[in-house]
Amino acid sequence: MSNHKALNMFGRSGNPSLNDQTFSNSTKDATFSAQSPASTMTLEGTVNKTGILLVLVVISAFYTWSEFFATGNPASVMPLAIGGAVVGFILALVTIFKKQWSGTTAPLYAIAEGLFLGAISAIFEAQYPGIVIQAVGLTLGTLASLLFLYKTGIIKPTENFRLMVTSATMGIAMLYLVSMLMNIFGSGGIGFIHSNGLFGIGFSLFVVGIAALNLVLDFDFIEQGSEMGAPKYMEWFGAFSLMVTLIWLYLEMLRLLAKLRSR
Amino acid sequence: MDANTLIFGSISLISLAIFFYLGRFRASSKQRNREDRIDWSSRKFSLWKIFLYSLVAVGGIVLLTQFV
Repeated sequence: MSNHKALNMFGRSGNPSLNDQTFSNSTKDATFSAQSPASTMTLEGTVNKTGILLVLVVISAFYTWSEFFATGNPASVMPLAIGGAVVGFILALVTIFKKQWSGTTAPLYAIAEGLFLGAISAIFEAQYPGIVIQAVGLTLGTLASLLFLYKTGIIKPTENFRLMVTSATMGIAMLYLVSMLMNIFGSGGIGFIHSNGLFGIGFSLFVVGIAALNLVLDFDFIEQGSEMGAPKYMEWFGAFSLMVTLIWLYLEMLRLLAKLRSR
Repeated sequence: MDANTLIFGSISLISLAIFFYLGRFRASSKQRNREDRIDWSSRKFSLWKIFLYSLVAVGGIVLLTQFV
């Protein structure tokens, strides 16, 4: 579920993997009440699996990162970066449509996206030294802060909240898609998206905000999944959803910081 | 190790510790016992409504760029 370009296809959460059928499909697989706690989704299981996916992302990112700094040539990691992004996107689609396969596809997705992130991060780091640790710190800081705000009930996701976050996410996806198509056809894309002017930075701040609010939807989805006793594989799916949002948030943080540093 | 790495590295580690600790606990009853919780098993708004809202958002942003 990634890169939020396919959002318009996948339902109502800002996060495309979280749609209306997410729980209703999983409930077809088993009668929750008849299941033992060991075979149902738990918060602890989801957190552990998120940890596993994070470790996989870091390991594969380290590979392309060190490859880039060993050669100093962006072309040396580009095939891995592009390959990782494409394979990651395909694996994300498979995971969304075949949630039962999450246990296999989510770790593979993490490895593929790690290759992409490692290369992109290395390219940014070479241009703006110290930017990657800042983006990582801000992304994880946002994750922890919003988890605290969610758990304590300070932020309360409602249907209207979901509608707003989803609509804004879809709008961003559309803008990126149009910009990408304009680039392909040689008209230079939508300028302000990439500009380091006041509007470009404001736009990046808006996107970072929406990506962060998607985390709240992920937390609520995981919380309700464990309350409802969703099947065990939904732990992998919940971790995967969180990972997609985190990767998006990290990339947007990186872009925002790069815009600020390039002024 | 420079100050940048030290500060943001510490933020990363502390945040991860908070996530792995807090993530295991259920949300507060204030969060869980609400009438207006999201119902993940049903749809309240049509996809068209979301599409329309997102078009409005895109249109608003594009219009804004004309005046800034």
